[in-house]
Amino acid sequence: MSARQSAIIGLGLTPMSTKPGGSAAELAARALRAALDDAGLAHTELDGLLVGSSQGVRPDRVGVTLAAQAGLGDLRLLEHVEIKGATTVAMVRRAQLAIRTGEARTVACVFADAPLRAAGGAGSTYARSGGNSGVRGLERASGVLGSVPTYALLAARWLAVTGGSPDDLGSVALAARAWAQGNPDAVQRTPLDADTYRASPMVSTPLRRLDCARPVNGAAAVVLSPDLPAARHTPVRVIGSGRAHPVRRRRAGDESWFGGGRAAVEDALAEAGLSRGDLDVLELYDPFTIVTLCLLEEYGFCGPGQAGPLARSGALAPGGALPTNTGGGQLSGFYLQGMTPLVEAIVQLRGDGGDRQVTGARTALVGGIGGRIDHHACLVLEAA
Amino acid sequence: MTETVGVVAEDWLLGAELAPAVDGDPLAPLYSGAADGLLVLPFCPACGLALELEQRVCDGCATTGADWRPVDPRGTVHSVTMVHRLERGLVRARAPYPVADVEMAGGHRLVLTSLEPLPHPPAIGDAVSIGFRRLGDVAVPAFTARTTPHGEREDP
Ligand SMILES: [Zn+2]
Repeated sequence: MSARQSAIIGLGLTPMSTKPGGSAAELAARALRAALDDAGLAHTELDGLLVGSSQGVRPDRVGVTLAAQAGLGDLRLLEHVEIKGATTVAMVRRAQLAIRTGEARTVACVFADAPLRAAGGAGSTYARSGGNSGVRGLERASGVLGSVPTYALLAARWLAVTGGSPDDLGSVALAARAWAQGNPDAVQRTPLDADTYRASPMVSTPLRRLDCARPVNGAAAVVLSPDLPAARHTPVRVIGSGRAHPVRRRRAGDESWFGGGRAAVEDALAEAGLSRGDLDVLELYDPFTIVTLCLLEEYGFCGPGQAGPLARSGALAPGGALPTNTGGGQLSGFYLQGMTPLVEAIVQLRGDGGDRQVTGARTALVGGIGGRIDHHACLVLEAA
Repeated sequence: MTETVGVVAEDWLLGAELAPAVDGDPLAPLYSGAADGLLVLPFCPACGLALELEQRVCDGCATTGADWRPVDPRGTVHSVTMVHRLERGLVRARAPYPVADVEMAGGHRLVLTSLEPLPHPPAIGDAVSIGFRRLGDVAVPAFTARTTPHGEREDP
């Protein structure tokens, strides 16, 4: 069997809602339909489906039953992939390899999430999940409710070790918001200045509300195929992939909260035959401002302690030398886990970015992380 | 600081519904030690390496099992945050509360809140010591600023 080259030929999004409405399955089915329409395919032409969901938080998360729910026919590949937030980026690689080996020909990857409920905000949804057993049970019994206090501990440690300041975090929030202003799908587009950032309510020091992504109900899907539709969109190829799953020990002598992800980027770049300087846009997973800073350094886009100065220099923002999270990221765009950076990379490489288009963008790094920056999945994408 | 309402002593920070599971929990030895006022943590039975709370095979020597034993209750702050979001229905405190990642003298790291309300949290590197809150029926380790026998704060 000859190895088959595939490309991302379909992209579908639901509206991103900051209000309750729609189950994850309904949203996933809609995104899938939109991606097939975008690719010019009938639903019967799909023979592979990979499903990613938010883990643990909600009982109605999507899984392999989505194939039946979304009206698909017989499939040759169907999996619920689970690597926490790294899932989506990893799914795209799984789809590419399945097509290459002939397991399936036309594969969709879909992610949906519906944390917003009529009763209580998404913050409450997260705060009330996690259970009372094991380490998580002890943490919750110690007031670690939801994910913000955890990332606040990471942020406090990271700022102490690297000599950073809270203004570094603010620079990331401002850059994300500036990009979001050009993205019609972004949920937070109001212009943001440093004073407004500094007046934002503290959630868990040093993280303010504007340091945190705002959850949405929504879904996104992509379709990969070796069959390129004529003149619909620029196909986007996966030319590199890398993964890293550092097992950091919570023990004296090591950093417990960060470090160990660089191999994912090194491997993806090596496969692509590119260096960091060849990348036109960086699309990183940014549930909190601190994560953008942490990943810039961890992935080798700046030297130790230089992520804060880099952000403050304006390099990440529109017009900067290192365009990062060009749709506003998860912070100001929409929080659909790994779909957020993936979708934005596809939009940029198609040249469909409108007001936030990075001129001449041909290559992108997409980074997905899971857990407490425990799992890294990176892709290098190229406009075909 | 616990206040007594009828016969039920309530935690200063959280509602009792957040009490950890104890029976059959992977951390059961920690809670049973805590009930006796001891901080009991897991070590490799062969090489003595400090293990993570749910770790069951030593990453140093690959020995299976964990030997739970009382440890020196002194530690230092590895990281710390003041939580300002007071989750309605779960958090009883009316002011921001601290959460610290405490590095014990024996090498373990534990994410804990303070024994009592603490308006000014310790800094990274500060010395702390472990006591126990009561959340529902469960004794839960918590940190307190370390003081000398004369009541002065000890240097880290
Ligand atoms: Zn050992």
